[in-house]
Amino acid sequence: MNLKNITADKLVALYRNRDLSVTEVITSVFDEIDRTDNQVRAYLTLCRDRAFEDARRIDAKIAAGEELESLSGVPVAIKDNMALKDVPTTCASRILEGYTPPYTATAVERLRAAGAIVVGKTNMDEFAMGSSNENSAFFTTRNPHNLDCVPGGSSGGSAAAVAAGMALVSLGSDTGGSIRTPAAFCGVVGMKPTYGRVSRYGLVAFASSLDQIGPFAKSVRECAQVLEVICGFDHFDSTSADVSVEPLLRDLDQPIKDIRIGIPKEYFIPGMDPEVKSRLEKCIKTYEDMGCRLQEISLPHTEQAIATYYLIATAEASSNLARYDGVRYGARKGGDSGLNDMYRKTRMNGFGKEVKRRILLGTYALSAGYYDAYYLKALKVRTLILQDFRKAFDQVDVILTPTSPTVAFRIGEKTSDPLSMYLSDIFTITCNLAGLPGISVPCGRNSAGLPIGMQLLANHFQEALLLRAAFNFERAFLLQ
Amino acid sequence: MKITEGDVEYVAKLANLEVHEDERAELAAQLSRIVEYVEQLSKLDVSAVEPTTQILETVKHAVRDDRVASRTGSSDAGKTVKLFKVPKVITER
Repeated sequence: MNLKNITADKLVALYRNRDLSVTEVITSVFDEIDRTDNQVRAYLTLCRDRAFEDARRIDAKIAAGEELESLSGVPVAIKDNMALKDVPTTCASRILEGYTPPYTATAVERLRAAGAIVVGKTNMDEFAMGSSNENSAFFTTRNPHNLDCVPGGSSGGSAAAVAAGMALVSLGSDTGGSIRTPAAFCGVVGMKPTYGRVSRYGLVAFASSLDQIGPFAKSVRECAQVLEVICGFDHFDSTSADVSVEPLLRDLDQPIKDIRIGIPKEYFIPGMDPEVKSRLEKCIKTYEDMGCRLQEISLPHTEQAIATYYLIATAEASSNLARYDGVRYGARKGGDSGLNDMYRKTRMNGFGKEVKRRILLGTYALSAGYYDAYYLKALKVRTLILQDFRKAFDQVDVILTPTSPTVAFRIGEKTSDPLSMYLSDIFTITCNLAGLPGISVPCGRNSAGLPIGMQLLANHFQEALLLRAAFNFERAFLLQ
Repeated sequence: MKITEGDVEYVAKLANLEVHEDERAELAAQLSRIVEYVEQLSKLDVSAVEPTTQILETVKHAVRDDRVASRTGSSDAGKTVKLFKVPKVITER
């Protein structure tokens, strides 16, 4: 069983017909992990025993002729910033060493209730801060398409696990592009839902007003299937949206003729990789051929998005990460000279360079004398960015952009210059600032064989439309 | 605005972080570059713009009825002693 050649639907159908047992599939998944993951290094923790336990339980259900759930026996990977009871959650940070959550995140709980089997927790940039996976405190995950390249970040492990056939689908989190960038770099589909669509309960907070959980899969349909399972209101997250969920799968294959697609002129910047640009032009042509109405739009404050993002995200992070002080979670250092000494020593030893850099920047932006000039200013520019999108969605239904200005870059290429790494998030960041749903869909490869991603954005809670636009593209693209 | 090593030390203290002396110069340089970059926002006149802290105005903060509700796992929290056992914080003089 090679997971690269099967979809969730077909897998569950094979189980139902008793052509295949769940235990056989889980065995082959771990065989694949044993073969491949010493090179790709997507996983931080494997849940072998409990995965086989789950597999036997579902096999018993099948033997007893019971109904299967939509994701019964589907092997999934979970980014290691989501809680799974009794399994360590590290956020790829030394500061959480030894921390094991006593509960499971709502999104993971819902996947499990739908029959999915968690095979492991995946690597990421420490506390989801990064665009390449190189900020993991443990090791760097590699891109399955070229092991010398980054898988993208911060959910690089989850994207690589699906791309390498070490999980059928996976969950990541997206604060400024952390699902969509690795999806583009690894050649899989990755989706960030509307802010509030998926409960953040059990997701370790990075920037609370931007964070959102979403799925990775090889196909748009599987992405929709996973999202349909994990989304919806949750009492345990006070920012969870109590907004009804449209069926996501039902109308997936309905034609998209006459929908209006906007191409923001600010996203076709001079520094863009020419191969990415020419691919995107082909994507636009594909939509035109399907009868969509394409038009140029303007999102005038795009240029200010990165500055706005890095002020808001670091300010929120500096507050969220204040809780890691050696008292309640994981590692504890020092303490002989009192409590403050313990706080400082724990945090100095526990956090990596990038996390410290962001905590310092965020603390600076919030500190007396600078709050108005930096943090408050960024919140106001955020309003302008949101207004740009409101105006744009008066004219169009969907916005089409590249996911990233480049393909996957080489490991080490951008680590010495934090700002150049930040600038690589230019196309994904506005979506989080405006709370919109966004998806990255593979749209071909460059001459070196590295995947290129197309990004689609829609208005708040328009996931069904977004997925339909993505599904129609994927189908047309595969026929080309 | 240039961030000095003194600024790094001050902000580190606010953030309960210790920064080694040999890291200060590099951090000051990196943070200076980032702060210079984000200062492009000062070119925009936002005096008449309201700040956005929460993106979805239509979504009310979820407050549920005051009923006891259980959830799988929550009762196990007490078993994770490390979550609650803290080092001694009050010392004799």
